[in-house]
Amino acid sequence: MIDAFSLHNKKILVTGASSGIGKIIAEKLSEKGATLTITGRNELRLRTTLENFNGESHQSLIADLTNSTELLSLAEKTDRLDGVVFCAGIVQYMPVKHLNLSSLDEIFDVNFKSQIALYQQLHSKKKISQHASLVFISSISAVSAVPATLAYATSKAAINSAVRVLASELSKLGVRVNSISPGLIETPLLENTFLNKEVFEKNAVKYPLGPGKCEDVANAVIFLLSDASRWITGTDLIVDGGYMLRQ
Amino acid sequence: MKLEEFVNSFADQFELTEKDEISAQTEFKMLDEWDSMIGLSVIGMVFNTYKVKISGEDINNAVTIVDLFELVQSKSEIE
Repeated sequence: MIDAFSLHNKKILVTGASSGIGKIIAEKLSEKGATLTITGRNELRLRTTLENFNGESHQSLIADLTNSTELLSLAEKTDRLDGVVFCAGIVQYMPVKHLNLSSLDEIFDVNFKSQIALYQQLHSKKKISQHASLVFISSISAVSAVPATLAYATSKAAINSAVRVLASELSKLGVRVNSISPGLIETPLLENTFLNKEVFEKNAVKYPLGPGKCEDVANAVIFLLSDASRWITGTDLIVDGGYMLRQ
Repeated sequence: MKLEEFVNSFADQFELTEKDEISAQTEFKMLDEWDSMIGLSVIGMVFNTYKVKISGEDINNAVTIVDLFELVQSKSEIE
């Protein structure tokens, strides 16, 4: 029987794979049979991720996607892809009145512009197969209006909008484009932020199904990359344990 | 870097608390209006004004405004 959820023989690129959600997603994709190219900024962490993979023939390519030369090199070295998971992201909590415009630029560069730039390079170098699936990791922050999250929230809202436009542009190639909006998930992204502990304790009660794990997001990614979702494009899949029900 | 200026900038982060309620020796986390948003505002003020990065833990460890002033002062001398 053909498993529509299998990723066997699919070549998938995962950005932001050296830590957090990206790392767990990459590991789960390897378990489902995907052949992976992972990229991130930290060589050592990227290598550790690679060691945890099932199977052979995966590769890691170090790249800072905000650096156009490194981005170009990544796109050149990548095989032709059946899927891309755009995971790279940074967060900063700051009330708007103190939001430094250069840090706003930095967050947009990493969370939004570099992801779009990567897509552009992959497409122009013919690295995206027909019927490929592009999955962007967004966030419920884009719409949940949590104080002190303007930079992160707007960068993710930009992703949501880009997904719909891209889905529209790429439909004639059979390429599907979707996003996933996770709720708050404990990852290194949240370490070293003032709100970490407080947000977690306060927010835990807001999730009807309890707190989420990276694996919950990874499973949604598997679905959107697999043929099981072949008729789904331009959507945002909320993976939040019911958080948005209470908004 | 002057203590008086620092206390004044610190007090500016509060929207509802009168400035005369805040002095160098104030145990700021005891103020009614204190919350994590004001904590973040203090981090932002310190970075934008003094070009020094302080963490949430630094704020958690400080009791009075002088404690934070001294921390920021030592960090700005190092950097």
